[in-house]
Amino acid sequence: MILVTGATGFLGSRIVDRLLHRGETNLRVLVRSSSSRQRLDEVVGGHPGAKVEVFVGSLGSKERAAEALDGCNVVVHAAAALSGAPADICLNTVVTTRNLLEAMVAQESKPTLVHISSFGVYGVACLPRATVVNERTQLETNPERRDTYSQAKLRQELLVWEYHGRHGLPVVILRPGVVYGPNGSAFSTRVGLNLFGLFLHLGGDNLLPITYVDNCAEAIALAAQSSDAVGEVYNVVDNDLVTAAEYLALYKREVKPLKSVRVPYVGMLALSALVERYHTFSKGQLPAIFTPYKTAVAWKGNRFDNGKLRRLGWAPIVGTQDGLARTFAYLRQKAS
Amino acid sequence: MTLKVAIVGCGKIADGHVEEIQKMPDLAYVVGVCDLEPLMAEQLAMRYRIGAFASDLDQLLDEQRPDVVHITTPPGSHAAIAKRALDAGCHVFVEKPLTPTLAATKDLLEYAARSGRKLTIGYTYLFDPPAQDLRKLLAQGALGDVVHVESFYGYNLRGPYGSAILADPEHWVVKLPGQLLHNNLDHLLNKLLEFFEDDAPSVVARGLVRRSERFGDARDSMFDELRLVVTGKETTAYGTFSSFARPAGHFLRVYGTKNTAHVDFVSRTVTLEGASSSLPSAIGRLVPAFEMAARFARSGLTNALRFARSDFHFFSGLNYLFRRFYESIRDGTPPPISQRDIVRVATLLDSIFLQLGEAKEVAR
Repeated sequence: MILVTGATGFLGSRIVDRLLHRGETNLRVLVRSSSSRQRLDEVVGGHPGAKVEVFVGSLGSKERAAEALDGCNVVVHAAAALSGAPADICLNTVVTTRNLLEAMVAQESKPTLVHISSFGVYGVACLPRATVVNERTQLETNPERRDTYSQAKLRQELLVWEYHGRHGLPVVILRPGVVYGPNGSAFSTRVGLNLFGLFLHLGGDNLLPITYVDNCAEAIALAAQSSDAVGEVYNVVDNDLVTAAEYLALYKREVKPLKSVRVPYVGMLALSALVERYHTFSKGQLPAIFTPYKTAVAWKGNRFDNGKLRRLGWAPIVGTQDGLARTFAYLRQKAS
Repeated sequence: MTLKVAIVGCGKIADGHVEEIQKMPDLAYVVGVCDLEPLMAEQLAMRYRIGAFASDLDQLLDEQRPDVVHITTPPGSHAAIAKRALDAGCHVFVEKPLTPTLAATKDLLEYAARSGRKLTIGYTYLFDPPAQDLRKLLAQGALGDVVHVESFYGYNLRGPYGSAILADPEHWVVKLPGQLLHNNLDHLLNKLLEFFEDDAPSVVARGLVRRSERFGDARDSMFDELRLVVTGKETTAYGTFSSFARPAGHFLRVYGTKNTAHVDFVSRTVTLEGASSSLPSAIGRLVPAFEMAARFARSGLTNALRFARSDFHFFSGLNYLFRRFYESIRDGTPPPISQRDIVRVATLLDSIFLQLGEAKEVAR
């Protein structure tokens, strides 16, 4: 049996869909009592006859995680906090993962963990512009200089490696880029930021490392079923990418007009240096939402290699043109 | 002397404590942090570049020898942690509510008094800029004698705190005797105290649950609205806690024999409401609005000047309170909040939750 955590989420619900598509018949999904199950119900409804056991619980303790885990030989761990206060992000991403790992290594026959990490774990700030990041690129060594989501995702992945090393837990790690699709958000920060009604277009001609939600879910389902994947790490990003500028132009044409101003990378570096300096000068009266370090991570323009994932047998099931059309149709409907 | 501070409890509010302490290197610095969950202690230490973190309080106390311990854990653990810190010779700053009951509060205060160390509590809004401005007006006699006070505390159940509580049936707030109200009412009540001479003004409480049933557990019965009438010998007060009124305001209105002040803790404005002239007929209705506009503009300008001086921080009250507490330790003067006021708030809380508990029994 495969346990999927985060199964009510944007990505998690699609993972359930792809696992069922790929022939899995025995799934359990871990659902928190406060989560909306609408997306999950739609997915399960699309697979008549599928056996999906809904387990209402949480990863709030090792004991609760163990209850959810009982009888499972694979765990796809997609649960993570995307927003909230820093302590809550840590609690709902890192501490929950440690509880899950503790429960897994206590099992007589250790299940395989398919862990959903993020491009956010890479230490790209100091790499030259346009460096191609692969699975061997070093992880972030200055987490205190990053945003809290990346901090939590890094600590989470390091925990997974720790349990893999210390307890021999079989693991597969997937590091997706920007996951997009219907039900997702309109803009990754890699495109830019909405600042009081004006969109700061910061990504320029950088290639967006996007992956359509079904393509990403397909990669995860494939990795969950592949014995070759155990002990490996895979970047997840689609083949045919668009630039940030192309994405923004398409959004304006397909969804709705948007006032935007393009800020070149050097301009953003200068602006973020000012923000950081004012933050220090004023003793934190305004938060250092921009710093040159964060700017380098988000907008310097790295590329990400998906060769290893392709060699595992993955191919996108939805092309970028089609994926964007579906996403923009959803956003258009939402806007109206 | 720069005080060495340790933080125990690395949840959301610990961020505010660390940030404010790190703004006063002349007085104090954070020497280490502690949480039963080592990953939580580690994340706080990492984000604020703090040298030490631990999951064992004794280890932290032994190794770092802090002068002051800030306790930002759930209230049920405050007393035990505070006593260990006092035993180790530390002064303690405890987040509100001090403990879950009046009896435990009195016991801890007596323990602190016997230890010869100082204890204070996170009544942050008493030190926020608008509260300080109000105190100046009172000292000038601008309000006359205070007749009545209104304290309003709005809450957003969809905010980071509210949503964390609703997402977890085991959340410590759900387990407090007064649940959601218990974690917030200190802020509503402590502002009233300076207008009451009484040790224990009488209070009548009416609680409401506006949310519909959703979880089938203790979260569903959590009061999310509260109305209070407080009566003392000389003064009366209304208290309102509301999770649904929008905007989620936070204000105090002080009705005096000479004038009424509106103290807004969200926009940080303090405005007097009486008209300065007594113009006749329709003109008398026309001018006050412009007078009020001018008063708000002045308040805004004062805030802008504070901002320019980098004295307009989000946790301003916490900063002033810490500073006053550390100075009291340094100078050997009384702490910024009296033990009597802490007991008076705890007395009101006990009475309110007793009434709400009885109301719940009747409803069943």
